[in-house]
Amino acid sequence: MRFLKKSIWVFHLNSGSCNGCDIEVVDVLTPYFDAERFGVKLVASPRHADALLFTGPVTLESLPKVVNAVKAVPRPRIVVALGSCAVGGGIWHDTYSTIGGVKELLKILDKQGVVVDAVYYVPGCPVRPESIIHAIALIKGLVKKRVGREAS
Amino acid sequence: MARVKSRVLGFLRILGIAGRTGRVTRKYPYEPPLVTSDFRGKIEFDSEKCIGCGACVLVCPSNALEIMERGGRVVLRYFIGRCIFCWRCVDVCPVEAIRGTTGFELATDNPNDLYEEVVHDTVGCSECGRGFMTVKQKDYVLGKSSVVENYIDLDPGCRRRKFLEAIERRFGGGE
Amino acid sequence: MGREVVDKYTSVIRGVDRSADIVFKDDTLYTTISPSSLRDLAKKLYWDLGCFHRTCAGVDERSLNGYFAVYHIFGDDRNGLNIVVKVYADPENPVVPSIVDIVPAVDWCEMETRDLLGIRFSGRSEYRLVLPPSWPNNLYPLRKDVPYNLRPKILASSERVGEGATGVAVPIGPYHPALHEPEYFELYVEGERVVDVKYRGFHVHRGIEKLGESRMTYQQVNFLAERICGICGFEHAVCYSQAVEKAAGIDVPERALYIRSIVLEIERIHSHLLWIGVAAHLLGYDTGFMHTWRIREHVMVAAEMLTGSRKTYGINMVGGVRRDVSGEKIGRTLDMLRIIEREFQELVDTMVSVPQVKKRLSGTGVLSREDARKLSVVGPTARGSGLDRDVRRDLPYAAYRDVSFNVPVYDSGDNLARFLVRVEEVFESIGMVRQLLENIPKGPIMVEEFIIPENRVAVSVVEAPRGEDVHFIITGHGRPYRWKVRAPTYNNIPALRVMLEGESLADAPITIASIDPCFSCTDRLLIIRSDGSRKWVSLDRLGCIR
Repeated sequence: MRFLKKSIWVFHLNSGSCNGCDIEVVDVLTPYFDAERFGVKLVASPRHADALLFTGPVTLESLPKVVNAVKAVPRPRIVVALGSCAVGGGIWHDTYSTIGGVKELLKILDKQGVVVDAVYYVPGCPVRPESIIHAIALIKGLVKKRVGREAS
Repeated sequence: MARVKSRVLGFLRILGIAGRTGRVTRKYPYEPPLVTSDFRGKIEFDSEKCIGCGACVLVCPSNALEIMERGGRVVLRYFIGRCIFCWRCVDVCPVEAIRGTTGFELATDNPNDLYEEVVHDTVGCSECGRGFMTVKQKDYVLGKSSVVENYIDLDPGCRRRKFLEAIERRFGGGE
Repeated sequence: MGREVVDKYTSVIRGVDRSADIVFKDDTLYTTISPSSLRDLAKKLYWDLGCFHRTCAGVDERSLNGYFAVYHIFGDDRNGLNIVVKVYADPENPVVPSIVDIVPAVDWCEMETRDLLGIRFSGRSEYRLVLPPSWPNNLYPLRKDVPYNLRPKILASSERVGEGATGVAVPIGPYHPALHEPEYFELYVEGERVVDVKYRGFHVHRGIEKLGESRMTYQQVNFLAERICGICGFEHAVCYSQAVEKAAGIDVPERALYIRSIVLEIERIHSHLLWIGVAAHLLGYDTGFMHTWRIREHVMVAAEMLTGSRKTYGINMVGGVRRDVSGEKIGRTLDMLRIIEREFQELVDTMVSVPQVKKRLSGTGVLSREDARKLSVVGPTARGSGLDRDVRRDLPYAAYRDVSFNVPVYDSGDNLARFLVRVEEVFESIGMVRQLLENIPKGPIMVEEFIIPENRVAVSVVEAPRGEDVHFIITGHGRPYRWKVRAPTYNNIPALRVMLEGESLADAPITIASIDPCFSCTDRLLIIRSDGSRKWVSLDRLGCIR
């Protein structure tokens, strides 16, 4: 993923979240945190994006639109799942109106033949702006992981 | 109630505001982040103290904590991905085995990194041999009340059966 | 509020239905009337006595008394009274008379009830609001015999743009750079003028009301309620626990009430600063956006210091709060408030002096007083159109009886009025937090032991940053039996149709944003039909399908 060493342009995709993670995504662009230091900017269309900042447990109503948006991102595609709703379904992981987060979405995309090249998971409720910056720095290879067995 | 006054060319004051504020960016991750010591982050388990009682599993609103049997042992599994960082488990644990930290740097590309486990050995029932309680929980209960020593080694099914047999013997049951 | 107010309402109700059953408790009047008198009573309450309509909820009471029930909740703000009107419906074929021609504000609630519970409303045209078009018929999620985690095998369908209306359709959303949440507006334009608006929402329907009745216990629902909305979550949790405390008769200690009010006002400050920044961004003034959010960061740090998290505070429980406010924190919060007040005053003076901002805000998106009254709008949207409504002053809750504050009201009804209402509210909130922190009493912060009896009804109303939020609860065994949430934006969205008609397209984004829409609160359940028409449904209707 050599191209990842350059600026990553992100598209913010809300698949039915409560907006807590989404206002923190907007907060990352404000002066205190300033993700634009890393070259990250929010783009208006998925066609311009390198990575998708994905929030929310995918609701039934927004599922076809989310699939359309992911299909529109050119290869290589990165999906960054932000927050406990996207990573594991959150507090509503088993209700009738959601499908359970990014894991189920990836299965559906797989069946339709849409390839996702890398998936990153960022837990939090809501995600701190510093967690998002940590995730971007992890993608670019600037920091090491802090969870899991190979954690430093 | 006009607390707001608009002036001609008043918008030029923004230059003064910007000049006075200067640069406020925190150059995280190369500088310390803007987090206070009161922040509720990831929790940590002390596997020595944990007795495997499952109180934390009952109160977790999002089922991030699960207790299950695997190969005759009891496993408490913590899924960081679904945790909502409410710290109810920290409040409820009877032996204070769960500690809260301010950890928020939890990003990863491998979902298996987000599972943490605490494994316990179980006590087998002296009648039917089925494992039903962890060793540490048995020690904890015995420490609280020694009167249960008579039936601490029986699982609930055998305990019920023995109690009914005792009633039968005392009051004379069916032959 | 004295006895004569209650007597007046009692005599009005008896005049309509002599056999009505009337009970008065706390600040709410509960009455059960026959369905044939519903329309007369609604007319008397809404137009003759000047009440507002808060919400209506349908309940599956077949396991309690064998019937379905519909509760209409009216509110008399001037006297601080809630009026709950209950009618029963036949369990085999539930039909209730509709009051939508008398009270236009009930349009969505009635259709939500129909989608989620199957109760029909006679005398009106019905349409699907909340459930997706491909949802199976005769499967009503909120009925008690349907589980909450039943996932029927349906294929969710996509949008079909622009059918059957005049003009060219401009679709905005669901994923649009100007919007944070997925919502879909279709603006029909002729030239530059907007002639019609169709709204399809409920993309954020997650099954909250049904979940609160099935998997959760009383204390866990606090965390669920907080995640209804990430911007105004704490007031949902406070409203829920107030409803349970009213139903069970729990007395919350005073220090806990003060802490709740402090955190509620801090949430209001953060929410209004967020809105002012977003409004500046939509008008093209990005400098204002960046500076406003820079000032807002102080509020987030203070919230983290007081409660433990920047948002979704997680300190509210039924019976009190979980975290205390120590002496040192009080000092630091007061310092932070001083900084915010000084910097925000200077910034907002600068912002309204920008000629483009002022011109774009004045005269656009006008909502007249009569339309606002008909649609029962709430919050700054109502106060910007001349309606003097504020729940903190009319039905005081938590510690608001001990605080003095002003309620800003403007008459022009345009975007500038709503902008100025919110700016003034920030200054009022700063003053309120100062008063509360300086006078906080000592004592415990939580009630340890309490019992919650079953089958008690309660209504609780709280002033969220966006307007009044209503929670309606019927208690059950260990968890609520029925929990209905009516978020403030629910009443404000129908007003968009009036505000956008005749406006030019360029003013549409700021007009839509000026009601401060919070679609996560609203989209409890949305149903959209396969022929393109949509129906908003509240999730609570949807109940759970197991």
